[in-house]
Amino acid sequence: MTQVHILFALIRKELMVLLRDVNALASLFFMPILFIIIMSLALKDIYSPPVRGQAYALDVRDKGALADEFVQRWIALRGAPQATPTAPREALRSGALRYIVTIEPTFSEVLSAPNTPSGIQVRLLADPALNISLFSATQAELSGLIGEIRAEALQDRFTGISTKGGQAIRLLVSAERLSLGMHPTAVQQNVPAWLIFGMFFVVNAIANLLVQEHDNGTLARLLTLGVSPGVQLLSKGLPYLIVNAVQAALMLAVGIWLMPLLGGDGLSLAGIHWGSLILLLFTLSIAAVGMALALASVIRTHAQASTIGPILNVLMAALGGVMVPVAIMPTTMQTIAAYSPMNWGLEGLLAVLLRHASPTEILPQALALTGFGAAMLLAAVILFKRRTR
Amino acid sequence: MLRISDLGYQYPHSDKPALDGISLKAERGQVLGLLGPNGAGKTTLISHLAGLLPIQRGQILIDDVPLASVRDVAPTRIAVAPQEYAFYPALSVRENLQCFGAASRLSKKQNETRIAQSLAFTQLERFAGTRAARLSGGLKRRLNLAIALLPSPELVLFDEPTVGVDPQSRAFILDAVKTLAREGTAVIYTTHYMEEIEAIADHAVIMDHGKVLRDGTLTDLLSEGAARLRLIVKNMTPDTVRAQLATVGTTRIEGEYIVVTLNEGISPATAIAAAESAGARIEQLDYGHYNLEHLFMALTQRSLRDE
Repeated sequence: MTQVHILFALIRKELMVLLRDVNALASLFFMPILFIIIMSLALKDIYSPPVRGQAYALDVRDKGALADEFVQRWIALRGAPQATPTAPREALRSGALRYIVTIEPTFSEVLSAPNTPSGIQVRLLADPALNISLFSATQAELSGLIGEIRAEALQDRFTGISTKGGQAIRLLVSAERLSLGMHPTAVQQNVPAWLIFGMFFVVNAIANLLVQEHDNGTLARLLTLGVSPGVQLLSKGLPYLIVNAVQAALMLAVGIWLMPLLGGDGLSLAGIHWGSLILLLFTLSIAAVGMALALASVIRTHAQASTIGPILNVLMAALGGVMVPVAIMPTTMQTIAAYSPMNWGLEGLLAVLLRHASPTEILPQALALTGFGAAMLLAAVILFKRRTR
Repeated sequence: MLRISDLGYQYPHSDKPALDGISLKAERGQVLGLLGPNGAGKTTLISHLAGLLPIQRGQILIDDVPLASVRDVAPTRIAVAPQEYAFYPALSVRENLQCFGAASRLSKKQNETRIAQSLAFTQLERFAGTRAARLSGGLKRRLNLAIALLPSPELVLFDEPTVGVDPQSRAFILDAVKTLAREGTAVIYTTHYMEEIEAIADHAVIMDHGKVLRDGTLTDLLSEGAARLRLIVKNMTPDTVRAQLATVGTTRIEGEYIVVTLNEGISPATAIAAAESAGARIEQLDYGHYNLEHLFMALTQRSLRDE
């Protein structure tokens, strides 16, 4: 029997032990899936705010034709309003209404006058909890609609050519967010993020495993039988590459098939470069398992394994853009994030899923992850040898 | 088979050696009992033999070949039955044996044969499919032994294998150790329990503070100081009594006892008469041969079970 045969026997043992450990299975598979479901549903509106369906009211104080035109078009855009409240601010503070649009009495007069309009003619008052994107979108839409109505009114007045209802101004603008056939959604953003987080969960599992086997003497027993520390480490690491692969498949499946059933957006892998996805997931796994083995080689107790692993995971996730997108971090934090393996993985996965990046395009991230994983594995071998002495 | 010469070892950050010039030997077909309290150096010695610690000083030879060379070529010639339950609780008895059999470099066929033999030897056949975690303490000890025996080792190291087991399981393990020796295996057996050594060992080594205090056949050790009289005298100082007894043997103080190792040809009655003629009023006395505990106390001034 060669060391390779011994390695296979130990890998088989490792997988059998893992399959019988309900807690480990839950933390490795169930928890990350739960994160994806919860975070994707919770953040759904961040990526696609539902502009229609928000409870709002109109307070129209102008009886003019342009005010009437405005109301009709706004209702066409945003749906029917609620009754105008007697105490608007209270209605907003209580959450009964999300926003109120007030049309001032001089609205029609000002908008149809040839001189430069002045004075507030429309007021937007919003619920303090209203999503900032939604608030900005509403504000922009109000401005656009008013501009449109004024342009039509002036054209009608001076040329006699009516363009009412044509929405001509908005038709002049085309806005498209490049996404190669799909729009970034909460699922599209969250599946890669929490997939990476889940893959690094192996730190905790491997650390606990090594502590347990050190304490019960099985590590020493294997050493006594002449099983080298390198083979022992590999026998711990290789099964967790398989675990990572299963995690990735499961979490992608959740994004594709389960999320739409739960009312969320679906993840789409249409048109992606599969080679890029596999390369990135594989190098991510090497990084995660390498780090897990290195940490496991220094951790001495179950208490350490149960605290250090998860805390480190959360810190890396926070720094790496898993919890907070790097784009909205301050510059200093963005610089720090650039050194985080989770960020390398996330940037690479987003490139694969959203920009359909080729293997060459994600090579920097893949190389960085592989280098990190290799350095960690080397550290693990040194530390593990020291530990078994 | 096994020769250890002047073995010394000091752990990093320790100010005294764990092993200090240990020399001993073990032969095939014999049980070498290793006795000593915690901290005596037994586990350090076992760890050396198991290849878990590097040799800092001295030499370990197996059939005149350095241990490191033996371990490079055939590490499974030496097996350890450790004090811990060194197996995987989530796996069944058979799965554990399959795993450690493969790790012992047994081919699939050899592995199956040896598993059957080990199960039979340890009488674990009917528990083969049971998860190790669900075994009783005694059965776990047997599984520990079964794993150690898988590669048919020539030297088996037992590190306190009966700690925390019921009397039945202890008897089983002791029988198994004797059987192994009868079949030609060399056995080193460490324990706190001297009655176990008396029951199974052919040869015993008493260790403390990393040194061998006494090494010999059990018969020699137990007959050492064969004629030993212990007295408690209240009406005279111990030194006065010892002076009176100097003519019948050598004396020393052991707690409140004056211990007299009688000179050849001197009977206990002669010694008692010598003490009484000097006016000593003997309140208590006992006479007899050493058992291992007496010998150990005489050597170390502390009980075997002292920490």
